[in-house]
Amino acid sequence: MSRFLDMGGYAAYVWPSYAVTFTVVFLNIFWARRALARSRAEARRRLAMRAEQA
Amino acid sequence: MTWTWFHRLGSPPYVYALAARLTPWFAWPAALLIAGGLAGGLVLAPPDYQQGDGFRIVYVHAPSAWMSLMVYMTMAIAAAVALIWRIKVGHAVAAACAPIGASFTFVALVTGALYGAPMWGTYWEWDPRLTSELILLFLYLGYMGLRAGLEDTQRADRASALLAVAGSVNVPIIHYSVTWWNSLHQAPTVMQFGKPKMALAMLVPLLMMLAGFTLYFVAVLLVRLRGEVLSRERAASWIPEVLKT
Repeated sequence: MSRFLDMGGYAAYVWPSYAVTFTVVFLNIFWARRALARSRAEARRRLAMRAEQA
Repeated sequence: MTWTWFHRLGSPPYVYALAARLTPWFAWPAALLIAGGLAGGLVLAPPDYQQGDGFRIVYVHAPSAWMSLMVYMTMAIAAAVALIWRIKVGHAVAAACAPIGASFTFVALVTGALYGAPMWGTYWEWDPRLTSELILLFLYLGYMGLRAGLEDTQRADRASALLAVAGSVNVPIIHYSVTWWNSLHQAPTVMQFGKPKMALAMLVPLLMMLAGFTLYFVAVLLVRLRGEVLSRERAASWIPEVLKT
């Protein structure tokens, strides 16, 4: 296990690369879902406003 | 030859529903391919005879670099389609691409620096490949900045689409930079005609990562696309329907 974590002496380069990549992979999922949720909330607000005016 | 499928792709409610339905069909295969690619790349593949275990950075560096270019081409083509045929959904696709592309261009640059440090002895060099990839990041950021700066969506769509199309000249420059100029960066190993110069145990996980990241991009794009389509429709009758679920 420690040999695996050591990555043949390249641990300081390999693991940060994977960490950055997968942080961005998960961030993109989070950002996309948040953007969709915001658009839906915005559309709901517009509908409610129009219903009030009518 | 019937073009109804193409016309339907211009219809916002159809696109919204289709995007929602298709997302899991891209997301789950992407997760499986990336998990398999990780196991293959980090554990099963043997160390490289020159780069030792350091070469394993390629399993995150190559897919993110591929994403940076593929997402840009998707964005530029969607923008061009939207400009030429006045299809609003094209602008929505282009706008949805930009943040994904920008973030993976950043990852390609960071993992490239972390790969370069032990192999070339430097994190950064003003090298043709590295410099043109940095310009790609600025193109994405310029595209997003332009959109954010224009209040009116229609104007933002048109102006940013022109920028996306014009900026696409940079894509072949990045791809061929390693053959046109002397570069520290190695020539393509996978993306070439004929036989790839890589052992199968190393190549298969890399192909799985490339395919996995591509499907992942489509899944994230489809989620963003729904938001973009929704925010472009002010008073459409289909909106209350899709907000129910």
